[in-house]
Amino acid sequence: MNSQKKLIVSHAPFLHIGSGITERNLHIIYAALPALLLGGLFRFGIPAIGVVCLSVSTAMLWELLMNRAMKRPVSVGDGNAALIGLLLAMLLPATAPWWLVITGTFVAIVIGKQIFGGIGGNAFNPVALSVAILMVSWKDYFDFNGMLMNYDPDFIMAYPLATLKNFGVSGIEQYSISDFLLGRQSGGIGATFGIGLLLGGAYLIMRGFIRWEISIAYLAGVFVTALLFNLTDPTRYADPFFHIFTGYTLIGAFFLATEDSSSPVNFIPMLIYGAAGGLMTILIRNIGAYIDGTVLAILVINLINPLLDKIRPKAMGKVV
Amino acid sequence: MAKSIAQEFTKGLWEEIPPFRLVLGLCPVLAVTKTVENGIGMGLATTFVLVCSNILVSSLRKVIPGKVRIACFIIIIATFVTVVELVMQAFTYPLFLKLGIFIPLIVVNCVVLGRSEAFAFKNGVVRSLADGLGIGIGFTLALAALGAVRELFGNGTLTIWETPIQIFGPAFQPFTFMVEAPGAFICLGLMLCLMNLVSSK
Amino acid sequence: MREMIKMIVVLTVLSSFSGGLLAAVRNKTIDRIEVQQLTFVKGPAIQAILEGASNDPIVDRFKLEYEGGEASFFVGVFNGEPAKIAFESAGKGFGGEIGLMVGVDIKADKIIGVGVTTHSETPGVGSKAQTDPSFTKQFQDMDLMSTFQVKTDGGQIDIITGATITSRGVAIGVTQAGALYKSLKPQIEAKLKEFK
Repeated sequence: MNSQKKLIVSHAPFLHIGSGITERNLHIIYAALPALLLGGLFRFGIPAIGVVCLSVSTAMLWELLMNRAMKRPVSVGDGNAALIGLLLAMLLPATAPWWLVITGTFVAIVIGKQIFGGIGGNAFNPVALSVAILMVSWKDYFDFNGMLMNYDPDFIMAYPLATLKNFGVSGIEQYSISDFLLGRQSGGIGATFGIGLLLGGAYLIMRGFIRWEISIAYLAGVFVTALLFNLTDPTRYADPFFHIFTGYTLIGAFFLATEDSSSPVNFIPMLIYGAAGGLMTILIRNIGAYIDGTVLAILVINLINPLLDKIRPKAMGKVV
Repeated sequence: MAKSIAQEFTKGLWEEIPPFRLVLGLCPVLAVTKTVENGIGMGLATTFVLVCSNILVSSLRKVIPGKVRIACFIIIIATFVTVVELVMQAFTYPLFLKLGIFIPLIVVNCVVLGRSEAFAFKNGVVRSLADGLGIGIGFTLALAALGAVRELFGNGTLTIWETPIQIFGPAFQPFTFMVEAPGAFICLGLMLCLMNLVSSK
Repeated sequence: MREMIKMIVVLTVLSSFSGGLLAAVRNKTIDRIEVQQLTFVKGPAIQAILEGASNDPIVDRFKLEYEGGEASFFVGVFNGEPAKIAFESAGKGFGGEIGLMVGVDIKADKIIGVGVTTHSETPGVGSKAQTDPSFTKQFQDMDLMSTFQVKTDGGQIDIITGATITSRGVAIGVTQAGALYKSLKPQIEAKLKEFK
């Protein structure tokens, strides 16, 4: 009866639009570069370069070893392992010791990704999982104040979120948002340069490699929750802009929360997913024991992702 | 089909090693394997209960009515668990403190009830003894292996009996995640994976 | 009907066998268990409080009955005289009962030390009552007969950071120890005289 054709499929050969796993990973790496190069390597120098190189190379090595052990086609070339190594390095302090980096990439690649069957199968963001495990095990190495003690730049080198936790709002008056945007703050190698991360995120969103819904909802979740806290007691809780531009918030919003296989695909689930992540981040920062809750919040939303995927549009023509 | 008594014994060491093959009795496997010592202690306590209950169940298998067999098994198992608990309190008190609630919990360990139900109730005394001993020793080995991995990486030591032996020296930064509960799950998963990898060849 | 009777008989026989075995094992082990418990649970606290005693306080212990219970007293001999004793008390903490060991100098009625023996407080927070000696040290040299309260309740004891309820529980436990000591003092002195 209904013979009208909805979708016309022609014969081969097809034109490839040039988008594939390799391209995606490559472009995400490009997007991360401004924050990494200008914010991290430029600021932290040789040690940071060492951490990044070690992280990327060992991540690829673990991937290769796991491919061999599991007798699967070698997938190092798709760039995903390199991306994971790069993002992990961006979250680490510049002076992270070699064994911390190698354990980190092992956890990320082997436990975070390959155990679940490689790319696309991971239930959690491998980078967030790895950083969370490292943070639980070696708390001291994620204390940016202690780790970056030898750097003496022309701006305040105390880690903003640690200052907030220890000294309250009166302690953070010395910081300014423009410093955060220009990367004049302490933190992970690639997590300090606000403008760079924003540019990278905007590029990825415009090219369609990540979904704007997740990033924007995440930032909105951070903003609204922090604002509510701030309104109830401005003397105890920092203002929302402070939370958005410090710690892992921006890198979390654009690079971690948006990871393909651990985030939802439909519009409403993406909004809930992002907003819940922002909410959890601020709850952990303001009430919880940890200084920065971003990676933990992202693990929590990864966990609710399968549930969120149940919210989906009704199939066409289906009668309930 | 009939296995020799030696086979009944050795199957518990590899073919049907409880936590890795049957994936049974995971509660103590995950909870008490922070050190090798805890693992061995827990394993031996379980082995004792397993052997005694297997012998008693198989010797009484003609007497026990089918309808109340589970109740009978539980009485027998609970008796031996309480015996173990009292004896451990009297002779190895520090170990008892470390294992704590998990000693009484042997009662609900699926391995013990499982062997009574699936094996001892249908087989002779000698066979059941071999089975209980094999499964028990397999369980102990598995616990000790898991404990060794977790303690080695999580603490840098190996504790065979009371005094920890430093393996990596003082420069080692312990990977504390391994001795936490989630570390136990991940470690068990990796070991299961390794077992399958080895035996699939 | 026959099956029914068989079930009942089998279960009864098994249960009585089990009961008999357990009673026998318990009888054989009960003394050893008590000694083990004293050595490993309360031992460290007793040793710390009665440090330098020339005897073994765990061996030289006696029991006294009071209204509603029985208490063990551990005697420490100093300079040839049973001058100090340690005994147990308890207070309600955040995660349940906190077992305390309180040491007293008999002559001066002064606290010589307080130690936490058993507890189920939050690890790293309330558990500091046991691991951090600076908290229990506050009680040292105070008059046992007085009432102890944490500073938040207007008393004299500094709390452990983040563990008000634990600190309060310890303070209450020590106060109760004082009350017990007061009511039993004549008997304690009588016992100590026998001890010589």
